[in-house]
Amino acid sequence: MKYGRATFARIAGVFTKDRAEDDLHEELQAHLAMETAEYIRRGMRPDVARRQALLASGGLTGAAESVRAQRGMPWLESIASDVRYALRALCRSPVFTAVVVTTLALGIGANTAIFSVVRAVLLKPLPHRNGERLVYLRHSMDGPSGANVLFSVPEVHDVRSGAPSFSGVAEYSPWFNTIHADSDAIRVDVGLVTGNFFEVMGLAPVRGRLTRPSDDGPDAKPVMVLTHDFWMKRFHGDAGIVGRQLRLDGVSATVIGVVQSAPFFPDRVDALLNMVISPHHLSAQMVESRMHRMTEVVARLAPDASVEQARHEVAEVTARMLRDNRGLYNPTSHHRVTVIPFKEAIGERARLTLWLLMGAAAFVMIISAASVANLTLMRGVHREHELVVRAALGAGAMRLRRLLLVENLVLTLAGAAMGLGLAFWGVRLLASLAERYSTRANEIRLDGFVLGFTLGLSVVLAVLLSFVASIPKDGTYTAVISAGVRRMGGSIRKQRLQRALVVAQITVSVVLLAGAGLLTRTMIQISEVSTGLKAEEVLTMEVPLLNPARFDTASDDRNKERYDRMRREIRALPGVIEVGVGSTMPLRITQLEFDVNAEVKTYTPGRPRPRADWRTASPEYFRAAGIPRLSGRDFSSADRVGSGLVVIINKTFADMFFPGADPIGKRMAWAGEVLRFTPVSGDWRTIVGVVGNTQDGGQDAAPRPVVFAPFAQSYALLGGLVIRAGSDAAALVPDATRIIRRIAPDAAIDNVMTVAQIKEQSVSPRRLNAALVSSFGILAVIIAAVGIAGVLAFSVSARTNEIGVRMSLGADSGRVQRMILKEGGALLAIGLVCGVTSAYFAARVIRGLLFGVAPHDPATFIGVMVTMTVVGMGACWIPARRAARIDPSAAMRSA
Amino acid sequence: MPEKLDVKQGTLALMILKTLEVLGPLHGYGVARRIEETSKNQLTLNYGTLYPALLKLEQEGYVTAEWGQSDNNRRAKFYSLTAAGRKQLARETRDWVKTADLIAAFLAPPQQA
Repeated sequence: MKYGRATFARIAGVFTKDRAEDDLHEELQAHLAMETAEYIRRGMRPDVARRQALLASGGLTGAAESVRAQRGMPWLESIASDVRYALRALCRSPVFTAVVVTTLALGIGANTAIFSVVRAVLLKPLPHRNGERLVYLRHSMDGPSGANVLFSVPEVHDVRSGAPSFSGVAEYSPWFNTIHADSDAIRVDVGLVTGNFFEVMGLAPVRGRLTRPSDDGPDAKPVMVLTHDFWMKRFHGDAGIVGRQLRLDGVSATVIGVVQSAPFFPDRVDALLNMVISPHHLSAQMVESRMHRMTEVVARLAPDASVEQARHEVAEVTARMLRDNRGLYNPTSHHRVTVIPFKEAIGERARLTLWLLMGAAAFVMIISAASVANLTLMRGVHREHELVVRAALGAGAMRLRRLLLVENLVLTLAGAAMGLGLAFWGVRLLASLAERYSTRANEIRLDGFVLGFTLGLSVVLAVLLSFVASIPKDGTYTAVISAGVRRMGGSIRKQRLQRALVVAQITVSVVLLAGAGLLTRTMIQISEVSTGLKAEEVLTMEVPLLNPARFDTASDDRNKERYDRMRREIRALPGVIEVGVGSTMPLRITQLEFDVNAEVKTYTPGRPRPRADWRTASPEYFRAAGIPRLSGRDFSSADRVGSGLVVIINKTFADMFFPGADPIGKRMAWAGEVLRFTPVSGDWRTIVGVVGNTQDGGQDAAPRPVVFAPFAQSYALLGGLVIRAGSDAAALVPDATRIIRRIAPDAAIDNVMTVAQIKEQSVSPRRLNAALVSSFGILAVIIAAVGIAGVLAFSVSARTNEIGVRMSLGADSGRVQRMILKEGGALLAIGLVCGVTSAYFAARVIRGLLFGVAPHDPATFIGVMVTMTVVGMGACWIPARRAARIDPSAAMRSA
Repeated sequence: MPEKLDVKQGTLALMILKTLEVLGPLHGYGVARRIEETSKNQLTLNYGTLYPALLKLEQEGYVTAEWGQSDNNRRAKFYSLTAAGRKQLARETRDWVKTADLIAAFLAPPQQA
């Protein structure tokens, strides 16, 4: 109570200081006056009396100080006074302050922005309940597109029964549907899940309920859980959505709830449904065939199980599976199942890019810290005198250290504040980059944790910086004060430190420049890869008409007829040159891929089974898309149902299956067990043409073997329109949409993009990458150049006297200039050697992000060295010129 | 000049409280004079000791301060004891007497014990 009251009074004292200060002054003066009066009364002369009274007081200033110490929070106030002092001192050197704060802001801003992304995408715990117990299972095999082949239902059963480390194993089958609303239709990406999916994932509903095991099986009613994003986007968070019926491809499903916001994998989805919505998922084919793989698997570790244990069990399950089904698993394909913590799986695609950016940002931080340290060192020399005077007046070493710390804190916090502004802007840019790599991009924000990181960074920097400057030692004050001049140059130790910092700056700059160079070349290489299409004023629109619930010839014929009407009507629009119809749009990856048999070269045992992409195309498709014909003929209207089965292959297919031979007239057939589940037959087909490769998997993907079947001879799966325009293909969108809507009011229109936009999709993340690292690199070089120039200029002014002596002894200005250039050149050379060595290793680390350029690309490295040398020598030249212009007589006189 | 004693830590507050109890509201100078006189000038109080102690007592609520006129018509800050101060004085006096007895007994020559 007493303590509380006193504390309160002291805290109040901090704020009522001014009035209390007047009071105190008056009180002490009154005391002095009364004492003086008393002495006078005893017979002293007034001046003697006053002197005596003053002596007896023990010093008014000291007394006032003691009272002040009792009054408020002395440490708080002295820090406040330190802050005021620091602000005054910094305002006195505005250029220094501005340079330091800006440099720090760039470093801190870059780090804060990128850290916020790294945290959201890679580090932050998953929103799922006990998300760290969640694992993703990946089934891979050798051969093309074998990285992730998904699971068949029997395989999932094997895992479920053979791995007791999992408390739950859930199935998730990516699917898509069209939701028909009153006025329009939209395509939605959905997941068909087992009833235990949400329990395994550890997700809770925000509205209604989630699926449960009773929703499994053919007798359940179709139910639907909306993801949080989709609910907000499509239904604006309408709570009344629960219980509503939505029509999906003609089948009605009840919305039972909305799940909490959480990332899905491998892709974002709009809704999750039980399997009953898709008859196919309950069919014997799906449930019984080992080869019918459509399912992703997530599992939850049992409370006492470890990932290691689970891996071990899954490996045993896989081995048994291969042993028991010898005929089905090709031993040379090396089937394997890996168990990956879910968080890692989600961050997988983003990891390398993000750590690259984090590394680059850390380098920028190092370089800006080194630069600020150097500036502080130089300023420290100018301030030595001031610090010594303060020390001599009684400020202890601790006090001076604290003063410096406060000053540096003011600087770094100002830098952090400005940096946060930069980060705020940068985070939005980065979020759009991260979206390409991770479903967690919507979690990116500058939250408390990130602000804590920034604050921590600023404090650490401030502490480091305040130990860079030296504090005057006891007993050296007199010498320094009596010297009476600002001593320049500082100690040898300090100069070494400055030089080391400059070398570090150059090293880091070289590494960043090399990274920037390699990534920029990568970006250029990727955008220079030909898409395989001639001229790119081409618009593509995906218009799937197939209703998976009605899989029959009659509706297929009707769909084909509707596609043909769309094609003809859009063709009639002004500005349209050609319109083609096909299953898959050019530059897009096909969803259908099958094993292949070909005449001459059939499947060789002991080799991974060759596969190819299945696509369909109308006769106009190749002309509309601009895919060049290399040999043979186009499809024609004569290639229809009932006529001979024909196909057109791409160059990769030709090279793969008919190396050195003319494939025209040869035959190929689809193969494999999977065909049974598709409307694609395994009949032999005659190859009538060969077309060029297109970059279907993105600009950096290896071309895939593709087989086109005539649109008229195949089932109309997927489906879309390729529209070639004379100019500005994008301008055709409204008219084309109107025509499609009229002909197929219930069809979803998806991925309306020009070919240029599709290409841009695979180039733009690379461009952003390269641009970020390049701007870091340029920043680093500028900071390093300023660093070199600064240190040399400082060295020149410290050596003014020496240079004067040299010149008066006969050194001409050219010689002096060379001397300074040599000093800078040595630093530059050391920095270059260190930088190139580090860059060589750094480039190997980011090898996975490069395309079309070797990690040790000589051209890049030479370019970097030349740039750094030119910039570095340019920076040396300024102080060297100054040294050469020193007037020897003036220099020596001023000493 | 006789050797002067420093005020022992913790005793000053007690002396101030006692002074105020005996003399009533008093300014800092008066308190100092009274303490010095009572100690027969063995103690001297400089401002740096006295005023922080007064402020501390004020913060703890044992004294209050008010500006008023001194005998020779000078504006001065007068300190007076509060109720809490009186209680504290009684408590501290009791403690001190006990401590003093204890120390005296402790330091007494052994043969007399």
